[in-house]
Amino acid sequence: MKFFPGCMIHNRYPGIEASLYYVFDKLGIKISPLEGSSCCPAPGVVKSISEELWIELASRNLSLSDEDILTACNGCFTTLLEASSKINGVDVRHVAEFLYREVGIEEIKKRVVKKLPIRVAVHYGCHFFRPSKSKGMDSEKPIMLDELVEAIGAESVSYRHKFVCCGGGGGVRAAATEVANDILNLKMDAISAAEVDAIVVICPLCLHQFDVGQIELREQRGEDYDVPAIHYIQLLAIAMGMDVDKSGLVHHNVVTAELVEKLIQGEIME
Amino acid sequence: MISREDIKALNTCIQCGTCIGSCYSGRFTALNTRKILMKFIAKGKPIEENDAIWFCTSCYACTERCPRNIPLTDILLKARRQLVKEKGLPGRLDKAFKALLKTGSLVPAKDEHAKLREDLGLTLYTAQFRDDAREEVSKIVEKHIGGLI
Ligand code: SF4
Ligand code: SF4
Repeated sequence: MKFFPGCMIHNRYPGIEASLYYVFDKLGIKISPLEGSSCCPAPGVVKSISEELWIELASRNLSLSDEDILTACNGCFTTLLEASSKINGVDVRHVAEFLYREVGIEEIKKRVVKKLPIRVAVHYGCHFFRPSKSKGMDSEKPIMLDELVEAIGAESVSYRHKFVCCGGGGGVRAAATEVANDILNLKMDAISAAEVDAIVVICPLCLHQFDVGQIELREQRGEDYDVPAIHYIQLLAIAMGMDVDKSGLVHHNVVTAELVEKLIQGEIME
Repeated sequence: MISREDIKALNTCIQCGTCIGSCYSGRFTALNTRKILMKFIAKGKPIEENDAIWFCTSCYACTERCPRNIPLTDILLKARRQLVKEKGLPGRLDKAFKALLKTGSLVPAKDEHAKLREDLGLTLYTAQFRDDAREEVSKIVEKHIGGLI
């Protein structure tokens, strides 16, 4: 398979990519980066300007690979999957549904060398499961990520507004940051009430919205939530034996000593 | 562009309010997708420069839940395109699209990001870092929206 990084992973959260290679190496699945690829391009924002531009850039990215493409971003997943169905291109997978459907929960459990007994709020992100027809997923309440999180010994805590958007999509973060942060504010109130160690996402854009948005909420509105966000693949890599340092977590904007300590400690398996 | 089919679909709306009730953006803003689409599109009025049209996160919740299967989100994106055609690129998206034209990325890497990749043992391999690929991407962007940027 070819790994398609997209802008946010390649340029902002490369720890996701390092973690993904670690996990796939351990699983014995060959994966290499899709060299020369560009912005996917982002579905909401680029389609708002030019659909012709959107399809041509997406087609170019797809044409760079004759193997299946793997993404770890909901936006890239949406764009490349939809464009591929239009031009009959290669298959496009998202790492979360790939792990769930192809590797399987039982196999993941077997590969865990260190359980991570933390409480987490999972956030799927709208574009992971919608539009639901092309994704083949439950449009209202998917359970994949909850099961993936529990497979590594963490507890997926149910919380209010679990399926609400992070607020960052569709160009809203870029075009109307205030609105993006209003939605985040609502989401963070609910997450904060659930008293979790971390927010687990499967999209670097959601990660960015939680990670940078919390800093903005603190600076602009005096709201201090301090709940770190982390991509599932980073947690899985740590559970499979990767050093917490190498997962990139410490380079996120919001990170707590308690979380890092809990991840370093974990619960070593016999 | 908004097609006859889109208008036909919009006219099957039974005004149940499900779309508006599903919209988290609409909870905080003046975004009322159904109203925008009805007023400006189904009734044939031109789309006005209206901030609210930029508040949709394209989460597709309204579309998925609409009992008449009206493709609200996709029609809203079309309405944005029509607006851009008439009024140009909204100022607040200017920076991102300039970056796309120049680097092949809406969110390009700066030195600090390149360094972080290095620290994590990763190479720099996207179009931003390959001259031939970057030029190819730039040409595509220029062709479609060069006049807007
Ligand atoms: S959900 Fe569909 S039918 Fe109901 S008001 Fe909205 S557009 Fe009309
Ligand atoms: S797609 Fe846009 S209009 Fe529809 S519910 Fe989501 S944010 Fe609201």
